Amino acid sequence: MRLNLKLISNKDYKTIIPKKQQLCTQMYKRDSPLLLWYFKRLSVVSGQRCDCTEHDMPKDRTISRLRGEMHRLQEQMRKSEATKQPQKQAAKPSQPAIFVITPTYARLVQKAELTRLSQTFLHVPQLHWIVVEDSPHKTPLVTDLLVKSGLTYTHLHMPTTKDHKLQEGDPSWLKPRGVEQRNEGLRWLREDRRAQPGGDNQQGVVYFADDDNTYSLQIFEEMRSTQRVSVWPVGLVGGMKYERPVVEGGKVVRFHTGWRPTRPFPIDMAGFAVSLKLVLANPDACFDREAPIGFLESSFLKGLVTMDELEPKADNCSKVLVWHTRTEKPKMKQEEAMRSQGLGSDPAVEV
Amino acid sequence: MPKRRDIVAIVLIVLPWTLLITVWHQSTITPLLATRKGTDDRRDGRSNSRNTFAFKESCSLQNRDIVEVVRTEYVYSRPPPWSDVLPTIHVITPTYSRPVQKAELTRLANTLLHVPNLHWILVEDSQRRTTLVSHLLQETGLNYTHLNVETPRNYKVRGDTRDPRIPRGTIQRNLALRWLRETFSPNSSQSGVVYFADDDNTYSLELFEEMRSTKKVSVWPVAFVGGLRYESPKVNTLGKVYGWKTVFDPHRPFAIDMAGFAVNIRLILSKPQAYFKLRGVKGGYQESSLLKELVTLSDLEPKAANCTKVLVWHTRTEKPVLVNEGKKGFTDSNVEI
Repeated sequence: MRLNLKLISNKDYKTIIPKKQQLCTQMYKRDSPLLLWYFKRLSVVSGQRCDCTEHDMPKDRTISRLRGEMHRLQEQMRKSEATKQPQKQAAKPSQPAIFVITPTYARLVQKAELTRLSQTFLHVPQLHWIVVEDSPHKTPLVTDLLVKSGLTYTHLHMPTTKDHKLQEGDPSWLKPRGVEQRNEGLRWLREDRRAQPGGDNQQGVVYFADDDNTYSLQIFEEMRSTQRVSVWPVGLVGGMKYERPVVEGGKVVRFHTGWRPTRPFPIDMAGFAVSLKLVLANPDACFDREAPIGFLESSFLKGLVTMDELEPKADNCSKVLVWHTRTEKPKMKQEEAMRSQGLGSDPAVEV
Repeated sequence: MPKRRDIVAIVLIVLPWTLLITVWHQSTITPLLATRKGTDDRRDGRSNSRNTFAFKESCSLQNRDIVEVVRTEYVYSRPPPWSDVLPTIHVITPTYSRPVQKAELTRLANTLLHVPNLHWILVEDSQRRTTLVSHLLQETGLNYTHLNVETPRNYKVRGDTRDPRIPRGTIQRNLALRWLRETFSPNSSQSGVVYFADDDNTYSLELFEEMRSTKKVSVWPVAFVGGLRYESPKVNTLGKVYGWKTVFDPHRPFAIDMAGFAVNIRLILSKPQAYFKLRGVKGGYQESSLLKELVTLSDLEPKAANCTKVLVWHTRTEKPVLVNEGKKGFTDSNVEI
């Protein structure tokens, strides 16, 4: 007895093209009633109803009637699948993705900073974390952390050139930091997104998040609706409790800041987000590492948008949802003393 | 032969259903698990390549390092639903008002929202509960208890400085311990662990799972304390703590940071006199003042792979420079930071 049937799983059901097979009842003449019961219920077999002109046995007639019912049910199923599918496809791109670009560099508190940052990001749906290390190669610390984080991520690296690197003892404001890394993040993003379907019309938001700041979960929901560039207040920056854009009539008219308010965009890196469309439409917009201190954000934004085009978020820029916190450098007095005696802590233990 | 045919029929019936069930199981329940498997495979692959190619990462990975984790269908519920099986972790956090307070509590809350069966006991150093903290706690959705007690000010010194002889946070932690003792009776079958978490430290999620199985007092290493990369208990081959790997006074009864130990709640409830000593405590002896009332060195349970992994970091946040505020305050004081 040859069983000419094809078992397909539910997954393949949508893609398979039903083959028109002449299934004859004669094949099942000697089969068990169990098989027939099975075929009646599992509507995976497709085929044409035999017209039973050749055999004309009462059993065959029953079988062909049952098969006809089965085909009818199959058609019904196919129709309902067809209506379900477009709904499913529409539900998928429900929220624009947020691409967070974080430059990072190796120091004692790096693992702690990235750990708590990843714990915040894990709450945000549709977030793609782009981590760019200031290093000639990817470090195992960051690699393992990203793998264990459970986030969608991209791991890149770009070393800062020596003349632009801060030396030991330099104050943090002496040279702009993270410039090459953010530009590398932008470059990767442009390259990756161009290859995606949708081209330059893709939905998404790009945000530059430093690894030592503190982000509330609301800021990500605020920035998701960015059409061009959106802005909001940042706490504990610019020598003040917070810096913010001043909004009148729903538009940004000036910036409330205590330090060099005449800058084109006197706003911190954590205080704005750019829509993906704008980033893709301006492939040359990047951060200028020769920009004077405090003008880094302006060097990027001035090519993208004007002040009146800015979209104020966070309740017309009246709420602080992100803070420019900085972490102290841990005191290693005893560690250094021990190391000089050759009794330093085990370097294999990752901190 | 009818018998063989029937067997074939039964197999044909059972086989596709099992296939269908496994397919449905994979697609509906936690794609996160599937992605974790995927990421594990990738991690193994990468570690293998690292062993064979010395320290160079293969260049082909450079632009292809995207882990396309499919998380679009995963609905993250925060906090995780309460389980009747897991012991509760009572996290006691003293806090005080300063510019970075809201930021610290926000990111601590973001961490705690991942931990199942967590009860956050936040004790403010203030005369009355502030709206800042009350709103923050309500918005997080965490299971919390909001207490407050003010550290007595040192009236001899001009200004609003608190009494420097009392270590910071002591009174607040003691209040939380008292609250626990008043709320839970020693005879109840409550299973739980008490942990003292300061609001500026950094905690990995693994730490909370390590401490959940504490029977008496468990200990683990803490990074960036005592002027070292990390301080840790010394554990012998039998898995018992016999000393402390610290430079700063290793002969303290318990040379450990506040973030380096957790206590089973039954132990707290069964010893109602055990509190942190308020006065006359030498620097670094505060933890010992509580622990010596509760447990001996040999009873300590080492966690974090026999105290070889660092799962908590004693980070400290810089005090923000607010020079541009001036004397009168430049920014609107109604805006909460």
